[in-house]
Amino acid sequence: MAADTLKSGAGAGGAAAVRRLLLDNGALTALIVLVVAMSALSGDFLTTDNLLNVGVQAAVTAILAFGVTFVIVSAGIDLSVGSVAALSATVLAWSATSHGVPVVIAVVLAIATGIAAGLVNGFLIAYGKLPPFIATLAMLSVSRGLSLVISEGSPIAFPDSVSHLGDTLGGWLPVPVLVMIVMGLIAAFVLGRTYIGRSMYAIGGNEEAARLSGLRVKKQKLAIYALSGVFAAAAGIVLASRLSSAQPQAADGYELDAIAAVVIGGASLAGGTGKASGTLIGALILAVLRNGLNLLSVSAFWQQVVIGVVIALAVLLDTLRRKAGATPLATGAAGGGKGKQATTYALAAVVTVAIVGATSFLHNGSSSSSNPKVGLSLSTLNNPFFVQIRAGAQAEAKKRGVDLTVTDAQNDASQQANQLQNFTSSSFGAIIVNPVDSDAAGNSVKSADKAKIPVIAVDRGVNKATVDALVASDNVAGGELAARTIADKLGGEGKIVILQGQAGTSAARERAEGFANGLKAYPGIQVLAQQPADFDRTKGLDVMSNLLQAHPDVQGVIAANDEMALGAIKALGSKAGKSVQVVGFDGTPDGLKAVEAGTLYASVAQQPTQLGRIAVDNALRALQGKKIEETVKVPVKVVTKENVAGFSG
Amino acid sequence: MSNQDELLRIEGIRKTFPGVVALDGVDFDLRRGEVHVLLGENGAGKSTLIKMLSGAYTPDGGRILAGGEEVRIHGAQDSERLGIATIYQEFNLVPDLTVAENIFLGRQPRRLGMIDRKRMEADAAVLLERVGVNVSPRARVRELGIARLQMVEIAKALSLNARVLIMDEPTAVLTSEEVEKLFSIVRALREDGVGIVFITHHLEEIAALGDRVTVIRDGRSVGQVPADTPEDELVRLMVGRSIEQQYPRERADTGSALLTVEGLTRDGAFRDVTFEVHAGEVVGIAGLVGAGRTEVVRAVFGADPYDKGAVKVSGAAVPKYDVNAAMTAGIGLIPEDRKGQGLVLDASVEENLGLVTMRSATRAGLVDLKGQRASAARIAGQLGVRMAGLGQHVRTLSGGNQQKVVIGKWLLADTKVLILDEPTRGIDVGAKVEIYQLINELTAAGAAVLMISSDLPEVLGMSDRVLVMAQGRIAGELSAGQATQDAVMALAVSNPTEAVSNRTEPVSNRTEAVSNRTTTEPEAGRGR
Repeated sequence: MAADTLKSGAGAGGAAAVRRLLLDNGALTALIVLVVAMSALSGDFLTTDNLLNVGVQAAVTAILAFGVTFVIVSAGIDLSVGSVAALSATVLAWSATSHGVPVVIAVVLAIATGIAAGLVNGFLIAYGKLPPFIATLAMLSVSRGLSLVISEGSPIAFPDSVSHLGDTLGGWLPVPVLVMIVMGLIAAFVLGRTYIGRSMYAIGGNEEAARLSGLRVKKQKLAIYALSGVFAAAAGIVLASRLSSAQPQAADGYELDAIAAVVIGGASLAGGTGKASGTLIGALILAVLRNGLNLLSVSAFWQQVVIGVVIALAVLLDTLRRKAGATPLATGAAGGGKGKQATTYALAAVVTVAIVGATSFLHNGSSSSSNPKVGLSLSTLNNPFFVQIRAGAQAEAKKRGVDLTVTDAQNDASQQANQLQNFTSSSFGAIIVNPVDSDAAGNSVKSADKAKIPVIAVDRGVNKATVDALVASDNVAGGELAARTIADKLGGEGKIVILQGQAGTSAARERAEGFANGLKAYPGIQVLAQQPADFDRTKGLDVMSNLLQAHPDVQGVIAANDEMALGAIKALGSKAGKSVQVVGFDGTPDGLKAVEAGTLYASVAQQPTQLGRIAVDNALRALQGKKIEETVKVPVKVVTKENVAGFSG
Repeated sequence: MSNQDELLRIEGIRKTFPGVVALDGVDFDLRRGEVHVLLGENGAGKSTLIKMLSGAYTPDGGRILAGGEEVRIHGAQDSERLGIATIYQEFNLVPDLTVAENIFLGRQPRRLGMIDRKRMEADAAVLLERVGVNVSPRARVRELGIARLQMVEIAKALSLNARVLIMDEPTAVLTSEEVEKLFSIVRALREDGVGIVFITHHLEEIAALGDRVTVIRDGRSVGQVPADTPEDELVRLMVGRSIEQQYPRERADTGSALLTVEGLTRDGAFRDVTFEVHAGEVVGIAGLVGAGRTEVVRAVFGADPYDKGAVKVSGAAVPKYDVNAAMTAGIGLIPEDRKGQGLVLDASVEENLGLVTMRSATRAGLVDLKGQRASAARIAGQLGVRMAGLGQHVRTLSGGNQQKVVIGKWLLADTKVLILDEPTRGIDVGAKVEIYQLINELTAAGAAVLMISSDLPEVLGMSDRVLVMAQGRIAGELSAGQATQDAVMALAVSNPTEAVSNRTEPVSNRTEAVSNRTTTEPEAGRGR
């Protein structure tokens, strides 16, 4: 990994060598520009703790990306790595906990799972002649599905012996960083020194020429995808041990991050080029960006925009460098081109700083240091319910003079862990967490506890760690309430279907439990089908349409949130509110409107703005050392047409 | 001399790429109704020059005048506006579109916003008629042979009302019959007043077609001479020294049969092919493009399967369709498509040279990189590969040097039977002779060489025996003494067996037909 840098660095003049190194390596320059920009904009960035955080946060993406580097260098693509990582972690947790397999063997099983998935990919591609995109897309779906099947949709807590992998070594060196470095060295070694590594470059550069030179291309491909599977499995183990639980939905979409890291690192999707060192830099760029944007309290929505822009800029920079033709004759080349490049880099640096700076100041106008700092990590902002929590929290924060930073974990437990870690290391006064998953948030909350930062959980609890308060409405009770409402409306007799939330989330589980409990009292109610629609309106529409084909005689629908209920209403058309009664959950503004219109019979309303308000209030009290209740229940109510007018979230 | 007939004038043009001066003061002019040949070794700067005219590169110095006025050509649109059309060696055609769609790509006639297919096809038919090629405007380009592709390119140029037509080695891939046809089209265009810039390595074509010749060497124009200048003189101008003998074959003592091919058959491609190649012998395979020559040697090498027959090396059978087995037996193949099949273009000289021997240099999964580097350096020195260093990407080498790298990787593997498929296609005179010398050295050392070539003088000049293929069969064998151009051509167009006469043209399964590889790389590999 370091071989190439050392070679040019060891030469004659120090400054000149560094200059050359930077100019010849666009990604490294981009990384340095970013680090400088972040250090200038945030005082919390350039601390040992935070830099180690960046390392930990880069680890999973980097390990995945090392594996993908093999595939991309050989002119393939592997979209399945995220899912394979989740599957391997699930296999590990499942065999170690549910079946009492010794941890060592469980780890071997997990790696074997990765190899098996890679071999299937390789076989389909080399012998089945499937395009790599399609073969690995199929594997993406299959492994995700299998990990849900094995885990039955719920996260499996990790045995403690494995969780050590998420700890630190000697009290300061995080194990994920160590694993990342080791895997990186292995990847660099494989690419640079081994037969299979050199074959990757030849196959990626010109497969036919490689074949006619006697390389066994098909066998090599099999091995290349298997290697990618090994790295995916390793990433999965690191990810899960960091969260202390194997999440069937973990690492969703990570394949794209991994591919981005590889390409930012200078590899071409056309194959034949790419290095482990470049990939590491690519992964670090992504991690520095996410970390820095968190520290700068850039709005969650703008963060995604900035990340996209920086990815494009980083690759653009590298393309420009190549176009200038610096590479092929590097030994003798010099002269005019370099000055031009330096200008390009300077320009890119200015643009980056301007974008990051502008977004942070736009959002964070009043960052006076006297106000107490509170961080709020939401599981998602892709759903009106959580947007309302944010609104309530922000309103309260403004009133009380709190400097509130809101982050969006995009339903990804490990991203949330990163955000909580960032809050902790930049010493926020208090942290409010709305966990993606109650188990997975445990480790991060523990470290906040260690740092004596009060933590308030909102909407969902945190397991295996102490929070100062839980502000929540009761999902199970709400589910029972929903069941009772529909059963009463149907007169205790009728056929209904249930739309479940996203498999693997605690809200989905608890509400489903509530529905089941509630329906026990009504033997006359027959549940025709229960299907997940992922808390999503469009999916609700699709799933309901499908169910209507199978069960045209349905009389009632329970949806685990209002979004899905609204989708179902779309599917029901004129039947909604007349021959079919729909009950939703959450009481979002759209849901309440539908209640008013009569299409939605009722919604079990939580009061998300209240949740946000009360959470901030409790955080502030904890911060001031006042005593607070351990559980703060925000009441749930059934909202129907009769009482909707008086109800406000 | 700025008269009305002058279409184009280039004065003192310069172009540098990082580390390389590609053009260093080139003068050139083109008149209405003439064929102006651009002559020079590969890497001399011809391609760079024509890329200035097509707008792919912009010059660093000097000026370009069109019709007496200075112009700047910044892209394909500018060059199109000036009436300049370029036909590159690698065609710019989209394989899965029809001929008519390719001709009018981006300029399809439209009616009410929709493409007017009828008019487009009618217009295309007129153009195809004009270039005298019998191909349907609705045929897919993928299905066409290389000669027809070229005609489609010419039709496309005509559709642009080109006044200047630049042709980069148009004859390199054509058989002599097809070349004749191309010449008559070029002559007709000349009659119409089109100015043609013609690049070729075949000196005999210059007298046959050209009016004037500009010779470029090392990025400078070194002379402008009439087309009837003797070939020796042209060669001297081109390489800066005189070449004693174009085909310096030194016959070695022939030993026992090294390669034996018996009754090799693949349905639809070749049938009953039987021949032997002895140690120390060069056997040439002549024939028209599509006669099945490449298919046979690929099958011998194990790159493609065959249905019947056997391949033996020193009497031991070689399993079929197994490149590794063929390699182990000592067979090596220099494929006809150098860039597509012979080289990893974006890898270094060192990596390309080490490709074949990589496996044997591997211990416990680790490649002996030091040893690989040492042998690459040795062989590159031995072959006289002109490069900036072992780390240079082969994409930036000239054609001759690229071919040396392909040959070099097989030399490193101690190949006993070397098969060369069109080894000197697109290579300049100087490098050709070096490759012939190499063949001499190989046979002197007891290796057997099997060489396919469409360049008849080359086959006749270098082979100890000539096999002529026609329609997938061996139509006849001629000894070096018997082999004359006429004798070879008579066999090449013969119909070897009446029994299979219902079969039309053998299907070529090669990938040569359409190559969309772009030719944007600078000719930076001269290093001299």
